Amino acid sequence: MFLLELSVKDWWQDLKDTFILNFITDDRYMYLVRGLGVTFAVTIGATLLGVLLGVIIALVRSTHDKNVHDMRPGVGRIILIILNKIANIYLTVIRGTPMVVQLMIAYFVIFVSVSQHKIFVAILAFGINSGAYVAEIIRSGIMSIDPGQFEAGRSLGFNYAQTMMYIIIPQAFKNVLPALANEFIVLIKETSVSGYIGLQDLTKGGDVIRSRTFTAFMPLIAVAIIYLVIVLFFTRLVGILERRLRNSER
Amino acid sequence: MSADPLISVKNLKKHYNDGSIKALDDVSIDINKGEVVVIIGPSGSGKSTLLRSLNLLEIPTSGTILFDGTSVTDQKTDINKLRQRMGMVFQHFNLFPHLTILDNMTLGPRKLLKMPKAEAENNARELLKKVALEARAGDYPSQLSGGQKQRIAIVRALAMKPDVLLFDEPTSALDPEMVGEVLDVMKALAKDGMTMVVVTHEIGFAKEVGDRVVFMDNGKIVAEILPEEILKPTNNERLNTFLAKVL
Repeated sequence: MFLLELSVKDWWQDLKDTFILNFITDDRYMYLVRGLGVTFAVTIGATLLGVLLGVIIALVRSTHDKNVHDMRPGVGRIILIILNKIANIYLTVIRGTPMVVQLMIAYFVIFVSVSQHKIFVAILAFGINSGAYVAEIIRSGIMSIDPGQFEAGRSLGFNYAQTMMYIIIPQAFKNVLPALANEFIVLIKETSVSGYIGLQDLTKGGDVIRSRTFTAFMPLIAVAIIYLVIVLFFTRLVGILERRLRNSER
Repeated sequence: MSADPLISVKNLKKHYNDGSIKALDDVSIDINKGEVVVIIGPSGSGKSTLLRSLNLLEIPTSGTILFDGTSVTDQKTDINKLRQRMGMVFQHFNLFPHLTILDNMTLGPRKLLKMPKAEAENNARELLKKVALEARAGDYPSQLSGGQKQRIAIVRALAMKPDVLLFDEPTSALDPEMVGEVLDVMKALAKDGMTMVVVTHEIGFAKEVGDRVVFMDNGKIVAEILPEEILKPTNNERLNTFLAKVL
């Protein structure tokens, strides 16, 4: 009985020591705090870029699919076909190669000249990657809108772009908001490979602590818990969002 | 009779599958200002295709359409400008579900006619009064019944102050008890002198409100009769059998 008590006490003391060593000594917790900031900066920047790219690609693709068959031959049609080809190549390449490889190509090959701005490169790489997935989400949203909505807009005298802007996109966006929010959650976790270009995000922050203290358990578990808490938080938020949208005027 | 018709359709053809399917087969018709033209016919007869060609929602294979002297079918024509003057009411209403009733009605006038917000909203409220729905201005389309939606769709088209209203089976998607309220609005419009082209199965409406009734079959206009002649047997066998079925 006495021995057991002692060993529990020892174990507890041990845990406390490792905790202090990993997070308190030399303010090592700051690696995680700063890393978390970087993770958020990259995620938010990449989301904005991804949505922008995604909307453009989705517009090109859905405009092409809906109209190219009954378009009059001419410059407009040729431009649309070329744009659609480019969009398809972009989607194929981005979705057909690993994110880490894309990130390293972005950093070590394409943006060598701005390689001191690692966050900038990461936002570009993750944003371009996310754009491909966002594009398909938004495209499905556009295609899901009743063609009658489009005709109603055109019959009032709105041109194609105005009909898209005032009538189709707002409805499509509302329909795919939960899917977009999920893409954001996926992106948070994806940014954990930022360490490959030496960017100190949350994961890399934990890894740095590990390399300083030679203990892996505490920092890595801490990193995992932080991701989990963030993801759970946003998942809840998406759930509330979905319920709200369902209850609203549909 | 005024000298020039408001809409003049000449030799209109719409072919699918390289001409094996003829949705419109050489259709010509004039529609005068202030006239209510009712198009009837069995499904697949091309009546909706004809109506939707008038504002180029369907692009005809050949033929010409003149609207107030301007060619609708000419590629150089700004079709969006013409469409502003040709209101359309659809079978399935097609209200914008993400906008309130008021916003549904003011979107076009504000963005296309550049009408100030207050003016557009005043106009919309005036129109809503006419269809007895002024209390629903702030509601969303999903909160309305089918008949109410269609009345809103009509005044949404009217808010653009069009020269003609095109109706594509406006009562076909409605519950029977709601048909009357929509037809009443259309009758009132006709009385006010609105030019209307109406594709419908409501023979009663055709008889009561129409100035002319056009019967289509197999992509052709096969008969044009006066409304009061609807109940009388004609020399057109196809029309007689159609009327016998729908009456």
